[in-house]
Amino acid sequence: MVLRFVEGIGDKTITTISSFYEALKFTFICLIHMHNPASYNPAMRMVLTKQIYFTTVQIIPLFSIMAVLFGSVIIGVVIVLATQYSLQDQIGSIIITFVIDEFSPFFTALLISLRSGTAVNTEIAVMNVNKELNTLREYNIDLIDYLFLPRIISGMISVVSLSILFAFIMLSSGYLFTLFYMNMDFHTYKHLLISAIEINDLVVMLVKSMAFGFVTMLIPIYSGLKATSAYTAIPISVLNGMVKLFIALFFIEVLSLLFQSL
Amino acid sequence: MLENIALIREVHKHLPTKEAQAEARESLRKIDLENISLNRLNQCNSYEIFCVCLIRALMTKEADVIIVTPFHLIDNLREIQTIVSVIEKLEVQKNILILDTISNETHYKDSSCNIVK
Repeated sequence: MVLRFVEGIGDKTITTISSFYEALKFTFICLIHMHNPASYNPAMRMVLTKQIYFTTVQIIPLFSIMAVLFGSVIIGVVIVLATQYSLQDQIGSIIITFVIDEFSPFFTALLISLRSGTAVNTEIAVMNVNKELNTLREYNIDLIDYLFLPRIISGMISVVSLSILFAFIMLSSGYLFTLFYMNMDFHTYKHLLISAIEINDLVVMLVKSMAFGFVTMLIPIYSGLKATSAYTAIPISVLNGMVKLFIALFFIEVLSLLFQSL
Repeated sequence: MLENIALIREVHKHLPTKEAQAEARESLRKIDLENISLNRLNQCNSYEIFCVCLIRALMTKEADVIIVTPFHLIDNLREIQTIVSVIEKLEVQKNILILDTISNETHYKDSSCNIVK
């Protein structure tokens, strides 16, 4: 009984470590391909263009509306709280830290995960189950170059660019609240933000967005590849992929908070 | 289908998309299937899918192309001459081998290809 229990723990540990090692190996291979100019063949560039359109451009209208709604409400709440705790002189840095460092990249990554992450996971799982991936391998077409890399790069471009757009719209719509609640003119609001923003904030936003974009596509792809050869494996693959993706997003968020607090 | 065929040249020869697609369209035109250029897989019949697979295989670097049991790949195919004429129209420079079972021997009667038992 005890022996079986210990064996069970050992088995689980070995499985976890080996799957973690496999995932790391896959990540490493993808990174190598990403830095290899030969990976960027015309077919890959065509897929990349399409992916950027699907992941970034198509979502802009919905994204902008959400940014306006969230922007005015959340910045409003931040300003009210800052006023309550007599932190009016810190409002600029509070807004910048909250919007640029934290909220924009994380919210964008969540939205892209829900919209494109699930789609990519399902697409790769379906291709895997239908043996389409085997066909591509038979024709000596590198799956990483042709299928995975365009999706990963488009994910990174998408999260970075949409985070910037989100932050910009959010800060702009936040002005509406300051105008009506604090009767602040645009020049003062602009000065407040510009004096609070630092290069550090922009670097944090860029690095974090790139990391979010990378995992937002990499984990669903990896999960789709792990789908077994049955249609019933597709929803399980998407479910597992999404859980892992959300854990990874929270992990990156916590890691960035830790680095910033140092 | 056009993208499907062009992919091989784009990847293996790094041919620009336009050129690769022009080459693919030309191959489809030779066998009078230019009309399926923009079709998706579910819009094509088994003969059209077979032809696309054949063109794609011919575009690879491999010296030999092997067709296995064509009568199972194409619905209602009566004699092998249909495939042989497609191969002739495509002006193939490669060795093409057709592997089939002895039960399909009658389908190969009067064909112009060499039969090895």
